[in-house]
Amino acid sequence: MPSDVRYEDDSVFIRIVQRSPEQLTAFYLGRQFNRAAIGQILDTCFVTPIIRNKTFDVLWLELDHWRFGRGDENIARIKRDYWPDKWDQSELPQAQRSTFGWTLMPEVRDLRPDESVGGSVVIPWQDQPFTLTMNFATGADRQGPPKTIVFEDVECVTDPP
Amino acid sequence: MRNRPALSHAVMSACLWFATLPALAAEPLPKGLLVLDGRAAPPLVLDDLDGERWDISEARGRWLFVHFWATWCGPCRKEMPTIQAIFPKFDASQLEIVLINTAETEDTVFAFLAEVAPDITPLMDSDGLVTEQWQPRGLPATFFVDPQGRLQYLAFGGRPWDSPEYLEFVQRLLGQ
Repeated sequence: MPSDVRYEDDSVFIRIVQRSPEQLTAFYLGRQFNRAAIGQILDTCFVTPIIRNKTFDVLWLELDHWRFGRGDENIARIKRDYWPDKWDQSELPQAQRSTFGWTLMPEVRDLRPDESVGGSVVIPWQDQPFTLTMNFATGADRQGPPKTIVFEDVECVTDPP
Repeated sequence: MRNRPALSHAVMSACLWFATLPALAAEPLPKGLLVLDGRAAPPLVLDDLDGERWDISEARGRWLFVHFWATWCGPCRKEMPTIQAIFPKFDASQLEIVLINTAETEDTVFAFLAEVAPDITPLMDSDGLVTEQWQPRGLPATFFVDPQGRLQYLAFGGRPWDSPEYLEFVQRLLGQ
């Protein structure tokens, strides 16, 4: 999969941007992250979707309803509670910890009509392509028709040699 | 001749608030604006870029445009010129525009705002903890706080504040 992939239909626009280690390093160095913290980040794989709700109803972003996998194999997400210990080990200051939190995709968001959300979803580094299945509930009470979008052959991007 | 006692500023503000809310309730909101439940705004005490302290508890009697942002956020960068554009249109005694930078350095903030919004002095949430307390649903986001210190509206995702639709919303808020 290319590093910038888009999907659009009547109800949703999704763009997935895969950042290389060099791009992630540049971004977080620019935010004054120390090298130890960046090392922790580069041990993982960042998948960065931007999602826009094009409907007139609520579209539910719930990361626990997404699946990362390869065939029958599930790839477990790295959640927010993974990072505090890593930041303690890296001696990362509070300002950078706050910034990092805002660069992640929220765990749950009731996307209102025309609302967009973007951020990184983190998984362990993968040497092989994987599938990302995004499952969305719809409607304020989550009782509307569910929506599923599948991205095949997503990769953790490496820098060119 | 008997003198009538003047209405206090607080009472006048309350009258203004009650007068505007029903009018706003009848009008459709521009895209990206959510009605909030009117709970009290969280505490907000921060220093601005000049080192002057700002405390929300001392800002009663006027509407507040409390805007959370960071320079690394694309929609924030796109929205900021529109905030600069509306800044001179409103008297600070009616609407105070409060920019809160989330967790960046003074140099970073100064370099950006000097180009894009030179008239507005931001508050510096240097460790990001005030932003976390306010939970702004992402960056950028703008809370409209009423003259009694209550959260009334939230604008998410970067809005073109200098466009007619959003300007009219703010003007209606102020009873203009």
